[in-house]
Amino acid sequence: MNLSFKGGIHPLRELHEGKGKTSSLPIQDLVPEKVCIPVDMHIGAPSAPCVKKGDLVKMGQVIATPVGGIGIPVHASVSGEVISVGPRQMLGKAASTCIEIANDGKDEWAELYPLGSAESAPVDKIVQQVKDAGICGLGGACFPSHIKMMIPDGKSVDTIILNGAECETFLTADHRLMLEEPDRILKGLRVIMRAMNVFFGVVAIENNKPDAIKTMKEAAQGMEGVRVAVLKTKYPQGGEKQLIDAVTKRQVPSGGLPIDAKVVVFNVGTAAAIADAVIEGKPLISRITTVTGAVNTPCNLRIRIGTSFQAAIDAAGGCAEEPGKIFAGGSMTGLCISSTEVSLTKANNGIVVLNQKDAVKQQATPCIRCGRCIDACPSRLNPQYLNVLNEQADLVGMKKHNVMDCTVCGSCSYRCPAKIELSASFKEAKEKITARRV
Amino acid sequence: MELNAILYAAGVMGGLGILFGLILTFASKKFAVPVDERFTLARDAMAGANCGACGYPGCDAYALAVVNGEAAIDLCTPGGQKTLDLLAEIMGQTAEETEQVVARVLCQGETDVVKQRYDYNGPKTCHTAVGLAGGPTMCQWGCVGLGDCVRVCRFDAMKIENGIVVIDEDKCTACGMCVKECPRNVIKLLPKKARVTVRCQSLAAPRDARETCDKACIGCKRCEKACEYDAIHVNNFLALIDPEKCTLCGACVEVCPTKCIEQLP
Repeated sequence: MNLSFKGGIHPLRELHEGKGKTSSLPIQDLVPEKVCIPVDMHIGAPSAPCVKKGDLVKMGQVIATPVGGIGIPVHASVSGEVISVGPRQMLGKAASTCIEIANDGKDEWAELYPLGSAESAPVDKIVQQVKDAGICGLGGACFPSHIKMMIPDGKSVDTIILNGAECETFLTADHRLMLEEPDRILKGLRVIMRAMNVFFGVVAIENNKPDAIKTMKEAAQGMEGVRVAVLKTKYPQGGEKQLIDAVTKRQVPSGGLPIDAKVVVFNVGTAAAIADAVIEGKPLISRITTVTGAVNTPCNLRIRIGTSFQAAIDAAGGCAEEPGKIFAGGSMTGLCISSTEVSLTKANNGIVVLNQKDAVKQQATPCIRCGRCIDACPSRLNPQYLNVLNEQADLVGMKKHNVMDCTVCGSCSYRCPAKIELSASFKEAKEKITARRV
Repeated sequence: MELNAILYAAGVMGGLGILFGLILTFASKKFAVPVDERFTLARDAMAGANCGACGYPGCDAYALAVVNGEAAIDLCTPGGQKTLDLLAEIMGQTAEETEQVVARVLCQGETDVVKQRYDYNGPKTCHTAVGLAGGPTMCQWGCVGLGDCVRVCRFDAMKIENGIVVIDEDKCTACGMCVKECPRNVIKLLPKKARVTVRCQSLAAPRDARETCDKACIGCKRCEKACEYDAIHVNNFLALIDPEKCTLCGACVEVCPTKCIEQLP
C-alpha cells in the first residue's frame, strides 16, 4: 500500500507524467561562458553585493553578503572577472541586482573550509556552515535551510523527511540525483539528523521511480533510523504538508509550519548540497535542472547558478519548434519566463518548453458547480465557493474560508472542466490579504 | 364543518394576535434603544453608496462616528459639498468650502504607445500581470490596462480603452477605491481645477524612458523653462506641476516634446 493524502490529481498519466523523455538520461555538466547571478534568489532580504566591476573572483567566493535575519550569502559559480553589477529584470516583480561574471574556464576554487565527515563534523558548527554555504531549499521555494535546522524554543522535531517525490510534471532532476548520487543524499541526511539531534529520517519517493526506490533502499541499508517510504504517484505529493500527511499521518495545523507536526522536510537536492557544504566545504554553486519539452535533445543538466535560460536550452539542442511558452520549473507550478536571457537560480529545477499548439489558453466558461475542485484540493478547501467570494472581491470572506491555507498547487484549476483560473486568483487574493493586512 | 368551530378558531387566533400585539407594543416602548436623532439625519445626508471612501465600513458606521464626534465631517467624498453642508448643520459646525477632487490616470501608455515586454496570457488582472517578470509593459510605472480599478469602481466611471484606463470625470466621486486597488499607483486624486497635468510617472533615465514609451516624460526640463509662474519642476527625470501656482496658461503643453503634459478643456 503506497502512502498518500486526500485530494490531488494525476496529470499526464498516459505520458508517464511527461518524465519519460529524460528519466533515463544521465546528468551532464553545463559550464557557461558567463553567468549572471541575482542576489535575491532566496526568501528574505536580498544580499548585498560585495564585489565590483573588474574584480577577479574564484569559484565559491562570496560575492554578496547576507542581510537581515534569514539572509544567506551568494557565491560566484565560476571563476573569472566581474563584468557588471546592476539591476536586471528577472522573474520577479521588480528588477533584481545581478552580478555578471565572465568565466575564465579555470574553475579555480576559493579556499574551502570542510568540517569533517558526516559522522565527525562538530554538531554546533553545522548550522553556521550551512548558512555560509548559501544553501536554500532546492525544491523550488528557496527558503534558507539553516533556518529550518534551528528548532525554535518550545518546539520539537522527531522526523526528518527528505522529499524525493518530485511530483511536478516533466521534471527528473531529483530522480537522476537519487539514482546517481544516493550516498551524497544520505550523508546530507545524516548531517541534518546529527545537527538537529533527530533519530528518524525518511526518504520519500513516488512509486513512478522504482529504480530510484531500489537504489536508495540499497544505499540506506544498515543505516540506523533511516528508511525509504514509497508514495503513490499523485500531484502535489511533494507539497510539504501533503508529504507530511502521507508519510507520518500527521496534519500541519492551519496557518502552522511543518515543525508544528514535529517534522522538518528537506528536498533531496538540498540534502546533497548540505553534504557538500559540510564534508567538502563547497558552497552551493550548481544544481540539477531538467530541460525538456519541445527541445531537440531533452537532458538533465548540472548547471552553474546564474546560467541563462538560453545557454541551457542551447545545451539541449535548441528549441525543436517555435516555442509558445517556456516554464521555469514544471508545468504545474512553474512560472513563464519573459525572455530567455533570464538567469537560472537556485530554485530552478527545470525548464519546460511548450510549442505554440500546447501553449494555447482555453477560454474560461461559467462554473457549473460540479465540485471537482473540492475533490482535487489537497488543502481541503472549497475552491468553488472561494471563487464566488473572489468574484465579489470579498477578501475578508476569503480569509474566513481559509484561502491562506491554499498552497497554489493548481490542482483545482487543472481539474476544472470550465477552465476557471481558480488557483491564480487565490494566489492574488493571498498576496492582497498579506499586503493589506485584511 | 360547523360554524362554531370556525368562529372558535378565528376567535382564538384573533385573540392571540391582539395579545401579542399588546406585548410587542409594550416591549417596544419599554425596551426601546435611544437613537440619537442626529444619526438618522446624518445617515440620510450621506451619499449612500457604501463605498468605503471615508475609511469606515459603510455609511452607517461613518454616520455614527460623526455623531459621536470621532470622525471629521468632510470624509464623504461622493456626497461632496452637499453632504458636507448638511453634516455641518447637523453637527453645528461650520462647513468650509472643499476643493473638488477627481481621480486622474497619470499614464498615456496605450497599447501602441508603450513597448510590450511579452504577450501576457494569464489571468486578466493587473495584480497578477505585474507580478510576472515586472509586468507585460516595458514601463514599470505605467498602466497595465487589465482593469482592476474598473472592477472596484462603484460609480461606473471607469473603462478600458485601447489598453489603458479612462475615467469619466463627471461620474467620478473621488472615493479613492481605484487608487487603493492599482498595483502601479497610476491613479491619483487631484483637484478638479488642475486642468494641466503631467500624465506620466516614469522615473526612468531619459534614454530608457524614450525607448520604452512614446509619451513618457524624459525629464528634458523644457517645460520648466517655459513656465513663467514657477509651477512646474523636474525631479528624478519627472516633471511635476504645482496646482496652486499653475495658471493653466498651457505654455508647458506646447513645448513638451513627447506630449506627456495634457491640458483638459
